[in-house]
Amino acid sequence: MSEHKPRKSIEKKMPKAFGWMAEYQDEHGLLAAARKVRDSGYTKTDAFTPFPVHGIDEALGIKPTVLPFIVLCAGFTGLGTALLMQWWMNGVDYPYIISGKPFGITPASIPVTFELTVLFSAFTSFLGMIALNKLPKFSNPVFTNPRFDRATNDRFFLYVEATDKYYNRESVKELLGGTQPDSLDEVLEDTTPSALPQPIILGVLLIVVAGLIPAMIILNMRAGFSTAPRFHLFFDMDFQPKKKAQQTTTIFADGRIMRPQVKGTIARGQLEEQDPFYLGYDPSKMTMLEESASGVMFVSTQTPTASQDGKTDGQQPAAAPEAPKLPWIDTLPIEANEDNMKFGKLKFDTYCSACHGYAGFGDGLVHKRADSLAQGYWLPPTSMHIDRVRNQPVGQIFNTITKGQGKMASYASSLSPKERWSIVLYIRALQRSRNANMDDVPVEMRSSLNDLATQVKTNPEATK
Amino acid sequence: MNLNYDKATIELPQSWRAKAPIILSAGLILLVVGLGCAFLSPAKGGDNSQGFRYLTHSYLANFVYVFSFTLGALFFILMQFLTRAGWSTSIRRLAEILMMMIPYLAILFVPIIVMLFWGSSALYEWNAKPSEMPNSVIASKAAFFLTAKFFTIRTVAYFTFWILAASWFFRLSRQQDESGDIELSLIRQKWSAPLIMIFALSVSFAAFDWLMSIDADWYSTIFGVYLFSGSMMGFFALMIIISMLLQNAGKVQKLITVEHYHDMGKFTFGFVMFWSYIAFSQLVLIWYANIPEETYWYKVRLEGNWAPFSYGLIAVHFIIPFLYLMSRHVRRNRTALAVGAAWVLFAHWYDMTFLVMPNAGSLEFFPMFGHLLGGIGMLCIFAAMFIQRASGVPLVAMRDPRLPEALSYANPIL
Repeated sequence: MSEHKPRKSIEKKMPKAFGWMAEYQDEHGLLAAARKVRDSGYTKTDAFTPFPVHGIDEALGIKPTVLPFIVLCAGFTGLGTALLMQWWMNGVDYPYIISGKPFGITPASIPVTFELTVLFSAFTSFLGMIALNKLPKFSNPVFTNPRFDRATNDRFFLYVEATDKYYNRESVKELLGGTQPDSLDEVLEDTTPSALPQPIILGVLLIVVAGLIPAMIILNMRAGFSTAPRFHLFFDMDFQPKKKAQQTTTIFADGRIMRPQVKGTIARGQLEEQDPFYLGYDPSKMTMLEESASGVMFVSTQTPTASQDGKTDGQQPAAAPEAPKLPWIDTLPIEANEDNMKFGKLKFDTYCSACHGYAGFGDGLVHKRADSLAQGYWLPPTSMHIDRVRNQPVGQIFNTITKGQGKMASYASSLSPKERWSIVLYIRALQRSRNANMDDVPVEMRSSLNDLATQVKTNPEATK
Repeated sequence: MNLNYDKATIELPQSWRAKAPIILSAGLILLVVGLGCAFLSPAKGGDNSQGFRYLTHSYLANFVYVFSFTLGALFFILMQFLTRAGWSTSIRRLAEILMMMIPYLAILFVPIIVMLFWGSSALYEWNAKPSEMPNSVIASKAAFFLTAKFFTIRTVAYFTFWILAASWFFRLSRQQDESGDIELSLIRQKWSAPLIMIFALSVSFAAFDWLMSIDADWYSTIFGVYLFSGSMMGFFALMIIISMLLQNAGKVQKLITVEHYHDMGKFTFGFVMFWSYIAFSQLVLIWYANIPEETYWYKVRLEGNWAPFSYGLIAVHFIIPFLYLMSRHVRRNRTALAVGAAWVLFAHWYDMTFLVMPNAGSLEFFPMFGHLLGGIGMLCIFAAMFIQRASGVPLVAMRDPRLPEALSYANPIL
């Protein structure tokens, strides 16, 4: 094409030059040339290589960047932000007890502090790198020459920019020419038309118009009316071949889709609603009581006590909550053997003793701690040895563990029914131990117990 | 390969060899005086049991302090072959000499074994007579695992493994000095992977046995890593110091460049960070779980005079070296790096003291003074051993195929 144009117009349209680009076959040629250019005093230089070349920074005379110091500042900012944030949030603004740990800055704050320090540093180093490199740059004149494409493949390039203060077109050409480059080209402005091609504009317009169509349809539907039935996109999802509760059917003679329980079967969850083992009372005897069954069940789950409103004076334990009048069972549904007893002790010591104490006097560590804080509104845990608890049927104690009472939470999710019954068994043993007489002790152990009793009476110190 | 070089430039300075006996005797005297200070100072009315506790704990802490350098060296060698590292070839022989000091240092462990069979429970409480066991937990541990016999068997096993691994690597390295055979590098590369796994286990177990079991109630599964991280940090600092001393004496001048110092500085910095990470991981789990059987280890260290000492560890072992070694300019400046490395060596001693000494008793001036003297003495003995071991060995593996890579190595400018 250009052959047909007159020579003059080419010179007139001579594109702008940005500097010289020398090409080398390997990194040794590049490094040697870079050192030469550096020693000649040029600073606006750059190298392009397919892989990181050791020593190129020094050969180009690149000064260390200021980025590390910016990142350091960002790191300290992150550190400060994290500490300040945690001190303010958990120490001042909203002190909240977490695992009984102190408020404000604790060792648990360090991971957060670490994360935030790293986060601030990482973002700053990434964004700082982008900014210091003046990125993003959508076009760079070095790409004008197709030879340069091999910079990502197998060639090494050295670039001296025209913006260098010592730049002189001829002398730079001479200097680079003396480094035996494979090629030496002037980096020229890209003179290809920068306007978008017409087909692309057309295509974008088409896409935009096409994108408006769904919106138009929706708008039309919203504004207008239609008598056509609703459109079912997923027909078999909207009309499923199944029946729901309370619907009718023609399959069964009585026309009901809900079927009565088949004899001799147990539905899921049914035992938990009917078996005394899971309830502590026998629901089959409920109808014999005056109150309606549903009402009593509601009461038993709520167990309102005076303690809940926190208005007790701290001296007087809350009045015994009115015992729900349920048909509690009197006999343990588990066997009272040594295994169950040991199991119950284990579970009692784990779950109950913190408040109720190991011997069940309501003097556990939680109580002692709360008592020493002397905040006045602490309601002591119930002792297992008061008459009210001693007279409770086993079913009611079981119910207390299951549902909780007063401040005590429900332990149904922590303890299985078997574990709860074992605890009841152990509580019964604890109660018995405080109210035992000599007849309860096995015959062969009575004499040694008597000896011990005499010892304690005569010399209390010796037995310690 | 062109092998025209003056052999004298890669040999230990003659003056050092002459000084070795003096350094050794000075070290022994300092150690004995130090242990004596620790032993005698708290004696009241002829009862020296407390003094003996200080003495044994001080000896163990100072022993592990110098021994950890050689463990670090062994790991460093394994790691260099595992990663096929080239940059470190010119400093690798120094680390090889350090790891070959394990047999020498094994002698220093003998007194501890003797003490066990003599029946003393001053250092290892689990060595008490069955009737005098502090509690049932320790008694159950002492039934099988923590017995004098089994302890000795394990210790011998650790040393055997370390010595065999180190000797084999050293022998091949010395053979390569003669033949320059590449095959010798390849076979070490191949075996570094399985050995490094056994090494990890052996160090972990040695840390449990030697250091953690002085408090036989307490346990921390990360303890082996804790000791390892501190050891690596101390090892790199020691390498910096040794390289600089050798260069000041006119040896290995052009073989160890500022780039190598820069890298050793980076490693020191990295392991300062790693130690802090591990130490904090141990602390935060114990602090958060708040279980008495774990927390009391810290309670012992936060009582009386130990409290400022333990809080000081955070500054000495983390904040100061972390901020100081962070800068590239410090790591590339000889004097500045030497100061940093010396500080890190001190920090490692401080850490070993923190690990061991609170178990002996409260922090008092004279026992600690004796402990410090003992530490310096132990370092002197270590130095004399180094001179002895390095005598007649070229200080650089001149015919290693990766040496050119090490010599042309340069850190990128950041």
